[in-house]
Amino acid sequence: MVELVLIAKDLHKVYDDGTYAVKGVSFSVAEGEIYGLIGPNGAGKSTTLRMIAGLIKPTRGEVYVDGLNVFEKPVVVRKKLGYLPEEAEVYGRLTGYEHLEFYAKLYGVEDIEETVKYGVELSGLGDRIYDRTSNYSKGMRRRLLLAIVLMRKPRLALLDEPTSGLDVYGSVRVREVIKKYVRETRSAVVLSSHNMLEVEYLCDRVGFIYNGRIVVEDKPSRIIERYNVSNLEEAFVKAIEGFEKK
Amino acid sequence: MIGRDISVLLDKELKDLWRDRKTLITTIILPLVMLPLLGIVSLALIAQQPVNVAIVDLDSTRSTDPLLNLTVDSRWLVDNLTYHLHKYGYNVLLANSTQVVSDPDVDVVVVIPEGFSRNATSLKTTAKITVYRKAGYQSAARAESTIHSIVSVFSRNLSNYKLKALSKLAGINATLSALRNPVQAYTELVTVHGVPVSIEVELRNAFARILVLALSFVVTPAASYVIDGIIGERERKTIELLLVSPAPLSHIIYAKMIAATILGIIAAIFDALGLVTYIVLASISYGANIGLIIDYKLLIIHAITAFFTILATITIALPFITRTRGIRSASNVAGIVTTVGIVFFFTGFMIDYVKLSPEILYPLYIIPYVHSILAIQTYMLGYIYRSLLHLLFLAIVSIGLLVFTTKTINSEKLLIAPP
Ligand SMILES: Nc1ncnc2c1ncn2[C@@H]1O[C@H](COP(=O)(O)OP(=O)(O)OP(=O)(O)O)[C@@H](O)[C@H]1O
Ligand SMILES: [Mg+2]
Repeated sequence: MVELVLIAKDLHKVYDDGTYAVKGVSFSVAEGEIYGLIGPNGAGKSTTLRMIAGLIKPTRGEVYVDGLNVFEKPVVVRKKLGYLPEEAEVYGRLTGYEHLEFYAKLYGVEDIEETVKYGVELSGLGDRIYDRTSNYSKGMRRRLLLAIVLMRKPRLALLDEPTSGLDVYGSVRVREVIKKYVRETRSAVVLSSHNMLEVEYLCDRVGFIYNGRIVVEDKPSRIIERYNVSNLEEAFVKAIEGFEKK
Repeated sequence: MIGRDISVLLDKELKDLWRDRKTLITTIILPLVMLPLLGIVSLALIAQQPVNVAIVDLDSTRSTDPLLNLTVDSRWLVDNLTYHLHKYGYNVLLANSTQVVSDPDVDVVVVIPEGFSRNATSLKTTAKITVYRKAGYQSAARAESTIHSIVSVFSRNLSNYKLKALSKLAGINATLSALRNPVQAYTELVTVHGVPVSIEVELRNAFARILVLALSFVVTPAASYVIDGIIGERERKTIELLLVSPAPLSHIIYAKMIAATILGIIAAIFDALGLVTYIVLASISYGANIGLIIDYKLLIIHAITAFFTILATITIALPFITRTRGIRSASNVAGIVTTVGIVFFFTGFMIDYVKLSPEILYPLYIIPYVHSILAIQTYMLGYIYRSLLHLLFLAIVSIGLLVFTTKTINSEKLLIAPP
């Protein structure tokens, strides 16, 4: 039997200003699985990920990580979680290395040295890791952030547009890192993306999220089959068009 | 362990602060250099303000009273005034007519009227001198008081001469002071417990008042640091990664508050050092004994007071800071809190809070700044125990308030700016 790392049950979110951003999202992710959330701008991807990360409270619904409720056991669950925000930034006056050290200590990992070493490797920044991040390019900062999130080998990694702002080489590298990471650690990953190529390449399963609801969910190959198109991008467009007509 | 994540967070904050040279320079170098510099510059500027004094001698005569064998020449007074005013750096010009009063370039005019020497020598009349001072200039007021003291010395000498001559005529042996000031008051400076003290204690008290005033300089940098630390993390998009960590939000905020307070106390120490430097420089030019004015225990009390004053200020501002949209509106809110503090410290500079009646003072106890002021004022009066009590109260209030207010903030509110 496959072990489910994440169970999201009927998540709803109404923001303080009345925006009904997520209207009943349910899905689960198994060990060693990469799940892709795709959808147009404003569909509710980031809101969903933030609820799973325990950053914002769902108006309704529950989130379980390894069977533990995110809001009832925050400290235990947060240690199991890695979350890369869509628009995260780093501290300009600290070096990349100091970031890795800081977050390793903050999470109270057992072997700080080993964790940081793995982080340096994940970042692929080489000697630049000892530079202050104010000297980094956007892509370098994004890679550092990804390393911060993954170096602890969290059971569940939530990656909100992990390759946003990266060039082709950077994106390819990050995809390799994610793929290798899941193979090695058997962790579960949920990622959101606007890049269908990326999703098709990386994800074992995808959920089309539209207007706060998951409207299609399956293996990429099966979705392509179902819509009778040649790639995920076309399937996506077709699916969305179908819903816009409704 | 509860403390571990705070120390990790604090370590990061301090690293960041240490590398934030702009903030450090403005809180350390600025008071250390600016306060003495301002003092020197203002002293130098005082000397640089040209004040033009005109003397009009409408008398220009010499009179002698044969009975007293006393001679007075109005030109003697003119020479006296000219000599001393020159010595203090005033420009003196001699004029022939009172027309000179209408000259805008002339700040002070001394008019010696006709009949001056006659009236001054007489036993029946007084010689009157008119000093015209242009309103609105501090420097003119200083020149005026110099003129008055020169005239009063001149007058005392005349009076002494007259008294001596009269007692000689009367054939009596009198002491001058018995005639001039038969009744005199003396002051003995003592502590609240009646122990005699030297004049330096008064100077030390003046220094303590300035320290109270200096508290107003330290609350502002600390408040801006907290704002930048909390709202800035949101605006620079570093906060999300921090909030998702296992560290509770309260610990994240504690670490920032501690860092801000450390910054504040650094500011307090350097403000005090700046003041000390200023006093040293000032007293070198006045030739007073500084060693007695600077009380190191007072500086320690000041530093502790500053610590908790800052903590109380940023704690009061905290719930507002975390509920505002951006750095600017947060600064406005913090500005209101720090202004309240500054107003109180100004009153502390002028009012002896210790002297207020209980009906007025006790209600004021709810304001933390009142305890900051009282901690310093009671210490200066020798009530060490009361001073510590006020510090303790300040500590309990600021820490209690901090624990309470951090509980009212949730990470969702902090992450998402209010619309
Ligand atoms: N803090 C907020 N307050 C109010 N409404 C919000 C807030 N954040 C997001 N929303 C709204 O919620 C909806 C979903 O936003 P969300 O950021 O989850 O979308 P997304 O799928 O991540 O979009 P994108 O692809 O642009 O990142 C949008 O309508 C958005 O305007
Ligand atoms: Mg998003």
